[in-house]
Amino acid sequence: MTGGGARVAAVPRPRTAGWLTAAAFVVLLVWSYRGTQIDLGALVGGEAMRQIGGYLAKLFPPDLSAPTLRAAGVGAVETFAISFVGSLLAVLIAFPLALATDRSLLYRGVLYEGRPPAGARRAVRVGVYAGAKAVLNVLRTIPEIVWALLFVFMVGLGPFPGVLALGFHTGGVLGKLFGEVLEDVDPRPLEALQSTGASRLRILLYGVLPQAMPQFVAYALYRWEVNIRAAAIMGLVGAGGLGQRIHFAISLFLERELLTLILAIYVIVTLVDALSAYLRSKLV
Amino acid sequence: MYRLERVRKTFPDAAALDGLTLTVHRGEHVAVIGPSGAGKTTLFRILNLALRPTAGRLLFEGRDVGGLSDAALRRARTRIGTIYQQQHLVGRLRVVHNVLAGNLGRWSTLRALTSLISPRDVDAAAAALAQVGIPDKLHARTDELSGGQQQRVAIARVLVQDPDVILADEPVSSVDPSLAVTLVSLLRDLSAESRKTLLVNLHSVDLALNFFPRVVGIRDGRVRFDLRPQAITPALLEELYAGHADEERQLAQLKDGYDPFGRACRPLFDLGA
Repeated sequence: MTGGGARVAAVPRPRTAGWLTAAAFVVLLVWSYRGTQIDLGALVGGEAMRQIGGYLAKLFPPDLSAPTLRAAGVGAVETFAISFVGSLLAVLIAFPLALATDRSLLYRGVLYEGRPPAGARRAVRVGVYAGAKAVLNVLRTIPEIVWALLFVFMVGLGPFPGVLALGFHTGGVLGKLFGEVLEDVDPRPLEALQSTGASRLRILLYGVLPQAMPQFVAYALYRWEVNIRAAAIMGLVGAGGLGQRIHFAISLFLERELLTLILAIYVIVTLVDALSAYLRSKLV
Repeated sequence: MYRLERVRKTFPDAAALDGLTLTVHRGEHVAVIGPSGAGKTTLFRILNLALRPTAGRLLFEGRDVGGLSDAALRRARTRIGTIYQQQHLVGRLRVVHNVLAGNLGRWSTLRALTSLISPRDVDAAAAALAQVGIPDKLHARTDELSGGQQQRVAIARVLVQDPDVILADEPVSSVDPSLAVTLVSLLRDLSAESRKTLLVNLHSVDLALNFFPRVVGIRDGRVRFDLRPQAITPALLEELYAGHADEERQLAQLKDGYDPFGRACRPLFDLGA
């Protein structure tokens, strides 16, 4: 009994840990509140409200003239195209890189228990793994808007730098997610396939990909939903689509045209969300 | 067919095989029994060339497998078919693809890929499924089948592979007793028809004694006995399973006349009498 009492005393008291976490959270909140200069007064004070109301009033009614509608339509189609082709490019970038980060295909796990690669062979494979990881990290940590700025300088204004920006950033994100799916693949069917004499490429086709594919598709569709929103702001830095027209409308004080463009974003994002949800229910 | 010479296999935490010596001839039917943790599964993974011995030699068809290149190792594996305990099929693939996967050691990668889109050799897959008694499941999704049906699919895959040896590692430990009898006799009959060597790792002693002319008892990574079933006494079995509560209970039930497999098996301890 006395031994049991001593063990209980050695465990840190959960109550203390809870208070410490709460205190740390409050400190972080106060610090970032001051750091970001949130000024509730400026948002709800009398003068500010009048200003906000005045601007909102200028937005109405939306400009539904033929040229504006045509511009919104063309911009929407362009935004859709940027998000679609960008997401496709992302999958093409992510897929091979994710495979290159799958250590159970490269040098360890059930497929290598009989003959673990040694020496230079192992070093090359560990290098492939580490290299692919590093490339994915670079692609992912640079935000798409920064990629867009870079590509606008490299290939000029228009939708093309937008596509490249989405493809690069999302390629990094999807590569990491695909890699996590591959790590969770059940190794037992792979061992069974190996026992038939199958090469690793055929094990990939019959064992790894059938297990991973539904989640690959689900992640790709989800990122497409994210990308349609990203594509809409890509134009702010000159990379095409609705964003570019919104940028012009704000700069030239065309508030009623601005509202039309914002409504176009609403329509196209809702459309892609619905389409993606439908495809997911069919494919996954 | 197989020759193991003082094979040792150690894992970071324990030794699984400790100087195991065993010879299996072409066409033999051998049951392997022993308490859990005896090293039976490790033995089977060494026999199907998934694992390499830490020490000692494994000869397959007279050749030391330690010296084989990657390609030669894969060629050797095509001649060894393995049936696992369970869950070694790809559940999301249709049955036809799991069965045709028996061809993967022979097919080119291109052929393997196109078969996923439009299955090749469907007739062979259908014939194998008919042999194991589920001809109507060709296009079913594998994870929708029952445990027993999945084991039949695994046997069908080995039939398509058409190896010289069939290894079955506890193939019936997750199905009910009457189905266990059906599957073990199916394995035995199919192997006899095509003169294949058959090694089965069995959890149940009376299946081993009733269906196999040679029974190998393994404990602590070593062969304890290697006998005809008629020569195996209750004392040998008690020694084999000493200290393993579950298996001792199984033996006690058998001695009391308990017969989990019904009429399909003779009562165990009539054998010595």
